[in-house]
Amino acid sequence: MDERDLINRVRAGDGSAERALYDAHVDRVYRLAYRLAGDEALAQDFTQETFIRAFEKLDTFRGDSALSTWLHTITTTVVLNGLRKVKRFHRREADLEAADGVVGGRRESEPDLKVRLREAIDALPQGYRTVFVMHDIEGFTHEEIGVALGVETGTSKAQLSRARAKLRESLADFRGEWIA
Amino acid sequence: MMMDNDETKFDQWLQDAAKTYNAPPRPAPRDEMWAQIQAERALSARRVAVRRAWARWGLAAAAVLLVGIGIGRWTALQQGSNGGTTVGIVDTTGRALVYQLAATQYLSRTETFLTGFRADLRTGRVDAFPGQARDLLATTRLLLDSPAADDPRMQALLEDLELVLVQISQMEAGRDRRNADLITQDMDQRNVLPKLRSAIPAGPVPVRTQGAT
Repeated sequence: MDERDLINRVRAGDGSAERALYDAHVDRVYRLAYRLAGDEALAQDFTQETFIRAFEKLDTFRGDSALSTWLHTITTTVVLNGLRKVKRFHRREADLEAADGVVGGRRESEPDLKVRLREAIDALPQGYRTVFVMHDIEGFTHEEIGVALGVETGTSKAQLSRARAKLRESLADFRGEWIA
Repeated sequence: MMMDNDETKFDQWLQDAAKTYNAPPRPAPRDEMWAQIQAERALSARRVAVRRAWARWGLAAAAVLLVGIGIGRWTALQQGSNGGTTVGIVDTTGRALVYQLAATQYLSRTETFLTGFRADLRTGRVDAFPGQARDLLATTRLLLDSPAADDPRMQALLEDLELVLVQISQMEAGRDRRNADLITQDMDQRNVLPKLRSAIPAGPVPVRTQGAT
């Protein structure tokens, strides 16, 4: 079915059209939420919130961009706001633990590449990490990222370049891997 | 040139290596999430309906109180101009009934509200309560300033309710669990709900709200 028809049917209150629209987009939304959140429960919450908002606001969708782009804009807003709240919560928990003298032991340095790569990506500033995940991992174009994050395409490109430079620096120990 | 080559190689390597970063371990749980979405949307629709009902009730309660105040003023004028005997007695009875009606409606609503508050507290869904508490608080204060509060027992109950409603109205939506627990403890200590229930007349006619002795 044509996407425009599907949207019109959803606007008219057709439940089966809602489910069809959800089925058409949920995998990508969930994957993006998971990549950014790194946690199954959070990814589910963010995906659900994305579709709840999308159905609520579908009347405001004017069709200037693809529906998927519009959905990904909602997804990134939901995920980034949600992660900020989670971060604040964890910081409070950490403060409480520190006050109680229960400080988690620092992990030994991990030589495994996967772990180091993960740590290096996690350590990127939020903006860099989001662009890196969307472009290099999920395959979004800079135009799509620009719309989703509300930034210029050039900003997206610049942030990706800085993200890669930072990662190259963080993973210098593994130079042999990519040179080979 | 060497550097550019390095960068290109790194970028290619990075794109491959990063595929494992936060990769979902299983496909999206479509049905599970859909069920949750439907449940949330139904709940949200119910909240909107409840908010509208509260707004309608608030207007009705305010109208009843205003009628009461109007009757009171008119009665006072009549008493003043007639040297006030017979007309005053008849109108005072009418005025009392209006206040009793308003008080009974208010008490029933407050009882429903506080019972719902305690129940929903267990599920953590208390977002809508601060707004509703503010609506009720306005009526509480109107009643405290009205002849409905002439009865000391009613006045004490209204003051207890005012305190509880102030606390609920100041809760931060969705993340004030500890405060909510303190509010319910306070309600228990003051016996608010039992007192409230005993002040609501069993039948349709409000006979006990003014605490006839």
